[in-house]
Amino acid sequence: MPSGEDTLTKVSTEAATEFVQSFYPAINSNRESIHSYYAPAPSPVLFNGNPVADGAAVQEIFVHQMPAAVYDVQSYDCQIINPAYPTITSAGPKPQSEMGVKDMSILILVSGYVRYGEDPDAPQRGFSETFVLVPNPSSDKARGRKEWLIQSQNFRLVV
Amino acid sequence: MPSMKSRRGGGSDRGGIRKRGPTRTDRDGDMDMDAGGSRGKGSRPEASRSGAGGGRPAVPRTGGTTAGGRGSGRPGRGGRGPPRDMNVDAIQRAITSTESQATIRQNRQNDRNARKRESVPFSVRGWKKSKVASDKDGGVEAVLAFIERRLNSLTKTGPRVRVTKSRVEGDTVVAFVHPDLVDTMLRINNNTFAGINISVEPYDPNTLAEQEIAAVQTGPGSTADTKAKMTTILGKRFYPDTKLLDMSKLASDPDLQAMGIFNTTSTESKFFPALMKVWDMGFKTASERRAAVESASLADNQLNNITVVTTLAHAVPDIKNLDLSNNNLKDAQSLIGWRWKFRSLEFLDMTGNPFCTDPAFKDTMLKWYPRLQKLNNVQVRTPEEVAAQKKTPIPVRSPHFLDESQIGETFVRGFFTGYDNDRNTVINNVYDDNSVFSLNINTSAPRAPNSETAAWDEYIKKSRNLQKINHLSARMSRSFKGAEKIREVWNALPPTRHPDMAAFPEKWLIECNPVPGLPDPTGQSPTGVGGLLLTIHGHLEESVGGKVEMRSFDRTLVIGPGAVPGAIRVVNDMFCLRAYGGHEAWIPENTDIPQAIAPPASGPVSAAPSAVLGGDQAQREQLIAQLSAKSGMTPQFSEMALSSNDWNPEAAWKNFEQLKAQNQLPPDAFLAPV
Repeated sequence: MPSGEDTLTKVSTEAATEFVQSFYPAINSNRESIHSYYAPAPSPVLFNGNPVADGAAVQEIFVHQMPAAVYDVQSYDCQIINPAYPTITSAGPKPQSEMGVKDMSILILVSGYVRYGEDPDAPQRGFSETFVLVPNPSSDKARGRKEWLIQSQNFRLVV
Repeated sequence: MPSMKSRRGGGSDRGGIRKRGPTRTDRDGDMDMDAGGSRGKGSRPEASRSGAGGGRPAVPRTGGTTAGGRGSGRPGRGGRGPPRDMNVDAIQRAITSTESQATIRQNRQNDRNARKRESVPFSVRGWKKSKVASDKDGGVEAVLAFIERRLNSLTKTGPRVRVTKSRVEGDTVVAFVHPDLVDTMLRINNNTFAGINISVEPYDPNTLAEQEIAAVQTGPGSTADTKAKMTTILGKRFYPDTKLLDMSKLASDPDLQAMGIFNTTSTESKFFPALMKVWDMGFKTASERRAAVESASLADNQLNNITVVTTLAHAVPDIKNLDLSNNNLKDAQSLIGWRWKFRSLEFLDMTGNPFCTDPAFKDTMLKWYPRLQKLNNVQVRTPEEVAAQKKTPIPVRSPHFLDESQIGETFVRGFFTGYDNDRNTVINNVYDDNSVFSLNINTSAPRAPNSETAAWDEYIKKSRNLQKINHLSARMSRSFKGAEKIREVWNALPPTRHPDMAAFPEKWLIECNPVPGLPDPTGQSPTGVGGLLLTIHGHLEESVGGKVEMRSFDRTLVIGPGAVPGAIRVVNDMFCLRAYGGHEAWIPENTDIPQAIAPPASGPVSAAPSAVLGGDQAQREQLIAQLSAKSGMTPQFSEMALSSNDWNPEAAWKNFEQLKAQNQLPPDAFLAPV
């Protein structure tokens, strides 16, 4: 039973909001949790044109090589890419009959600034970042399980 | 190999939209916009800079570099459903049917709508004579609050109205209000504010300048006389050859003395701003004015602070050299008005000012002016240190462009030309009932130094910035699904003009990557179809009410196969507009081809690129790109050659030469006929 536009909008915008409101704080100050935002084999993950293999590699970079940074989101928007995203679970492709409204893939476009280093007077660099979120394929019901994960990410400094 | 093939051939296309050769990118990964006619001339400067191709004009490339063998995320592969052809013809049609080279002002209807909604500026004067002038901010807040109070009491009904934007120019507050309030605003003229009648008149920059000049008039004669005298003075003090504006020793200038400027404190405080106004008027455009001066001097002027001369920063914002020697500037506070000005300053002379003896002097100036290299004739920063500041913890690389049979490239080229010239046709050709478009405005984005941002009136009611738009109904109404809704909103948006990609490739940053799992418009494939995720950054000019404004944008598009075999459809179109931010941010930090084993980039700020990328992945990327450039092989084959030779580039190259000599490489190992 296809969901109505209102349900689709509600689910997708709330998912995007939840993501933006937890992912950026994580890269600001909870970098040990970064890997948990990524799908098992994301592609591509790009930072300023540099490809990064997966969530663990992103976390490694942020934990060990990035200076302190403040990312501030100033504007973001989302759209549904596929309301019935073909998730491949450990048991194979998820059958249509088992799909619910949350089986959507979501495109997010974020605009904001980042300030690198500890100096509050350091210049604000504008960035633009695009994400593709897909439903979490794992069926574990652990607390704090994320319903959507990053399948693709493209970060660019633009100012 | 690629699952989405474009139908090649057909020599009848015009306008250079369809490429006749392979996709070509230069070393920076910029698309080679010259692929058609002048191929092989080897005359492109970027290409010759790139070097390692051994004189080849550009590096042909269809796939970009792959990330550590993860190039298999191609659409249509990996069990994501049957491969489907995507065809460029749809885009082609969108473009070739655009006959007119419409100018951005051609759409008169849009213009009229635009003018109707643009904020209108008014000059508010006289308040300086009132008692609020002694307020901390000179009374600006108070006078604006007064204007708003009056507006609200005069309109009476409806929601509270506001001054949308304001700035101070000399003795004038320029206040912007909604066009519906124009008549109300005029009724405030001559109202009594803080014991003084203030004037509220439509803003006219020339009138304003005239008024400022008139304020300096000391004796009989017209404003024109004063202006002419000032022009003469400026003529004597401006040295076009050395681009120097010498405003030193003003008090002993015989011409200024003859004008009686220094006879009253009023004219003494007003002549400099007036002089700068006259200076402004001497140039047709702001860019001409900015380019005219590289050095300015205010030496020997007994300045206690920069209040009187502060408009120098507006007149010559881009100067590299500033001489403030032999004044009476005591501390940072005496210069505070220039804290965020002169962003290009490299040389500053403050000798002979008390501030120089302050222990914090040097650090403060270094902090204020990030490009400052010489302070009081002493080197305080090297050019390398200046360059290093621009580096980011994540090194900036050329675009990651993983196309499929040039579909992404062809689409992007056609899309923006079409969006500028004929939006309806673009919609007819590549948008369908399930395409989605939405727009979000980042009104507070960082912007390029010294740039101004136009108001967002045209857009704000359509902006779907989810940070601000919280109600479900607004979130729904600001998302436009289906060709007809998109057409409606596109036709209501201001006409635009994007820079020509061929002429100004550096103004664009375009990345393209495969994206799987798109909905299949034919409904045949439950596992979805593959397409391309395009992320594009750049700027556009838009025409609103006869004015041309420049804005930066980010646009992310998902495109996939259409319902009709061979067609392309836009699945998602997300458009973010923000203040003009330039294009410097995406200039690659290392444009030279790195050494085979790249030494870690040195520099106090940036980490070594390879380290940032977590091991040798970045290095491998570079090796692949290098071998691909040198050999003409695809990145995939280059990667194979390297990985089977332990990532030793020399061994891989020898291996390649051997195999090539033995004719053992298949034709599809190469990007294009060499």
